[in-house]
Amino acid sequence: MEREQIRERLASAASMPKDVVMGASVVTLLGDFEVCIENYRGITEYTDSLVRVQTKGGQIRLTGRGLQIEYYTNDEMKVTGKIRTLEFIDGRNRE
Amino acid sequence: MIRSFVRWLRGYVRLCVAGYSPERFLNMCCFHQLFIWGLEPTEKGYGMYMSISDFRKLKPLVRKTHTKVTLEGRYGFPFFLARYRKRKLFFAGLFLCAALLRGYSLFIWDIHFEGNVRYPDTTLAEFLESEGVAPAMLRSRVDCPGIVKAIRKEYNDIVWVSASIDGSRLKIQVKENEDTFPEEETSAGEERPVDLVASADGVITEIVTRSGVPQVHVGDAVKKGDILVLGRVEVVNDSQEVIGYQYHSSDADVFADTQIEYTDTLDLTYQEKVYDGKKKYQPFLRLGGWTVSVGSVRNQYEHSERVSEETQVRLGENFYLPFSYGMKSVKPYSLVERTYTEEEARQLLSLDFKRFCEDLQEKGVQIRENDVKIHLYENSAAASGTLFLNERITEEADTEILTVERKETDESVGTDD
Repeated sequence: MEREQIRERLASAASMPKDVVMGASVVTLLGDFEVCIENYRGITEYTDSLVRVQTKGGQIRLTGRGLQIEYYTNDEMKVTGKIRTLEFIDGRNRE
Repeated sequence: MIRSFVRWLRGYVRLCVAGYSPERFLNMCCFHQLFIWGLEPTEKGYGMYMSISDFRKLKPLVRKTHTKVTLEGRYGFPFFLARYRKRKLFFAGLFLCAALLRGYSLFIWDIHFEGNVRYPDTTLAEFLESEGVAPAMLRSRVDCPGIVKAIRKEYNDIVWVSASIDGSRLKIQVKENEDTFPEEETSAGEERPVDLVASADGVITEIVTRSGVPQVHVGDAVKKGDILVLGRVEVVNDSQEVIGYQYHSSDADVFADTQIEYTDTLDLTYQEKVYDGKKKYQPFLRLGGWTVSVGSVRNQYEHSERVSEETQVRLGENFYLPFSYGMKSVKPYSLVERTYTEEEARQLLSLDFKRFCEDLQEKGVQIRENDVKIHLYENSAAASGTLFLNERITEEADTEILTVERKETDESVGTDD
């Protein structure tokens, strides 16, 4: 944790993009029907009502209806459908 | 749009991934840079699309993740070709199409002219044909610099020519010389002694002489045929004796007041065509010397108008095919005798007179006055009177060549001394 804080300070001091320095994931929401996620590790679960994406700092949990992954590449994915919630869950243990 | 077309061209498949952990399979695909789209959960596992080339790399991943991949659909051009590989004629057609396209593109199919005003397209096309340049010739045999040279040589007043091949069209751009005066060019050739004589009776109002000796003055009355400007200039010695002549082609502007009589008569009775609405048509097609037509225009009408229209089919602008189509039609009429009313006769006569005046004015003749009147008689009407004009009255005539009598006796006396 200590290391993370130093990194964060360094990044803000040098005004460097945090997604590059800290490996933070970039989530772009377009209305409630499209989400674009960058900087992630992989998918852990995927059904048409729940998508869980593993990132460096934790998990992103998307719930909704008729969720579909439009495309899925090494650095970017796009999910469409009716999105209800978007949660960030710390660590790997809590699910 | 473009991306989906490229996908279609390269071919793609729809897969269904099932097993213990299909998510791991997805993440492995990502890691190995295999592009996945249209991912959706199904009853068994996940459905997704993948390009053919990526699909071929899947085997080790499937083995590693212990998943089962089933192929659900094949899409795109490679599969399209494979599906119809037995349709030989289709491929033959495809090949033939490509071959014909290639073959036809070896020829010139059209000649396009630009910038020509004085010479119409047809004239230039005919000239080029005589030079061996015509539609349906091989592109490789077109010699653009040669065409340019030939056109420049043939037409003097085309000052610039450019020939270029644009696809299967030969484009010829020309620039004509707009400042040429063809009249002067012709007269500049050989100078012939010429007098200017009066072309009509009149009174001179203006005379400007550029070459020659004027014989009349402003205010002189001249008769038709009188010499106005003499092309023979006398050469005199110190004692004002004529010792020789120089001959010139006279050139002058001589204007004079003249008058002409105008008469125009009109019969009050005339025959009018009355059409009875019937019409016979005969459409036809002509291919070379062969003509195919439908119907007939044969008839027993006493009077009829016969019209024939023919259009030759052409490709592009100047490539005429030996194929034409058209329509012949016959329209019967009967003649009915009518008479003009007084008003109609007046109108017709004054319209004629107006046209006559306009013609004169176009020729540069000035109308000073006219006393033309319309007279109506029992069976006819007439317009008559005199027009007072001011016009150019010069007319060229050959100069009489005179020889000078030499006073040889005097000279011999002088030398003997």
